[in-house]
Amino acid sequence: MSHHFLDVADLCFAYPDGTEALNGVSFRLEHGEAVGLVGANGAGKSTMLLALAGLVLPSGGTVNVGGTILAKNTVGEIRKRMGFVFQDPEDQLFMPTVFDDVAFGPLNQGLSLPEVSSRVRESLEGVGAAHLSERPTYRLSGGEKRAVAIATVLSMLPDILVMDEPSSGLDPKGRRLLIELLKKFTHTRLVATHDLDLVMEACPRTIVLHEGKVAADGPSREIFENAELLERCHLEPPLCMQGKC
Amino acid sequence: MGRVDPSLFSPSYAQGSGQSNRPDPRAFWIVTFAFVLTVTSFGKYEISRLTPLFFYPVAITTLYGVSARSLLRKALFVLPFALFVGLFNPLFDRQALLVVGGYAISGGWVSFFSITMRSLLAVTSAILLVMTTPFDRLCLGLEKMRVPRVLVTQLQFLYRYMFLLRGEALRMVRAHDLRAQGNKPKIALSTAGSMIGLLLLRALDRATRVHRAMLVRGFDGEVRVLQPLGFSWSRDGVFTLAWILFFALVRFVNLPEWLFGWVVGK
Repeated sequence: MSHHFLDVADLCFAYPDGTEALNGVSFRLEHGEAVGLVGANGAGKSTMLLALAGLVLPSGGTVNVGGTILAKNTVGEIRKRMGFVFQDPEDQLFMPTVFDDVAFGPLNQGLSLPEVSSRVRESLEGVGAAHLSERPTYRLSGGEKRAVAIATVLSMLPDILVMDEPSSGLDPKGRRLLIELLKKFTHTRLVATHDLDLVMEACPRTIVLHEGKVAADGPSREIFENAELLERCHLEPPLCMQGKC
Repeated sequence: MGRVDPSLFSPSYAQGSGQSNRPDPRAFWIVTFAFVLTVTSFGKYEISRLTPLFFYPVAITTLYGVSARSLLRKALFVLPFALFVGLFNPLFDRQALLVVGGYAISGGWVSFFSITMRSLLAVTSAILLVMTTPFDRLCLGLEKMRVPRVLVTQLQFLYRYMFLLRGEALRMVRAHDLRAQGNKPKIALSTAGSMIGLLLLRALDRATRVHRAMLVRGFDGEVRVLQPLGFSWSRDGVFTLAWILFFALVRFVNLPEWLFGWVVGK
């Protein structure tokens, strides 16, 4: 199982208007690690995730997913291994019913019908949404949409899960369920979020991005105890460390 | 934008369960196409010969438990367009064609009524198609009938994202109304222009994000779905043939005249 690692080396990306979103980002995620990716607005988190999935082509540096280097001809292979959960589940759910949406990935992988059905069932059960299977995707609540969006990715059996703001728009119970789910997963996880309390609970390690660079990388508690670092990166300690909960 | 009756764009109630007794979508497509073809093939002064065709919407509404009220409401929404098409006929075609109770009716009025009837019939049949069969099954039916996949995929996405677009438009109108004056604020033309432009930009952004979400899940241009269709000759074949025969009968035999003759003769 050693191929479930993600190695990013000296990644650079600049938008056509010249804005440097990523400026030499390097880190490595080992098999099964859960890592929070935090940073202020515009720090480069979303661009980072897009670059990992090959949705924007970096201008320099390498992304190595389990031994495969991201390039134009390996994008398909990389995407098979990496499950990507988008910030807005409305973007992720585009098929008529929940079942069809969860089946979309496995069908594209060319699996047989019984295999696809069992994958869909298992993924929906995994996120507690088995009862939604026949529902149209646009009729779900925010929490249900999020759960199904995660299931759409789980059904492809990815080695690595990448999530962009998974707790945004969730009510407290939905958020709690998400945290429990994240803790339960055994995949290598990279969670980009502003929800620092979620990171404290679900990710033992944190990477702080600031102005397109890695400002810090280490155990979450240590990072969030470093007041000077947080101040510099326009962050605050999680509420649970401010004694507010 | 926000004043359009939302139910017009609501998904059909025919979603998911309770579909087993309904004909295969391919049968429905063929019958609807044949119906529209029959309706439009009549001459411009035909009125009485069109009347038997009303049997089709009535039968489908009754057979498949479609709400007649909802069907009519949707059909009436399109009526003004039909009226507009025939609006000038009475002005240009003034020659008397019929005399009813001592009043001469011009060809223009007759063709105006005929156009209205034909549009109502055609529109009703199209609405019935969508109301009786879930949209995804209709698309699947099209695909099985070898309609180019790119068109079917576009239809699927149009349907899925119509609701999102509607939601965005409604939110925009609400935001406008909350900051505008009066109880029922009107949107100024210049504001409407920029709102529509913004809606287009948002739609483009959304399309990019959706496309990305599809790419990362292995999309290669083909939308694969797990819903096999089964065309049963005893159910769908009979359904299709029976209706086509009926339409042919209405088209080539003057049923109202024959019926009238039969009743009078008796």
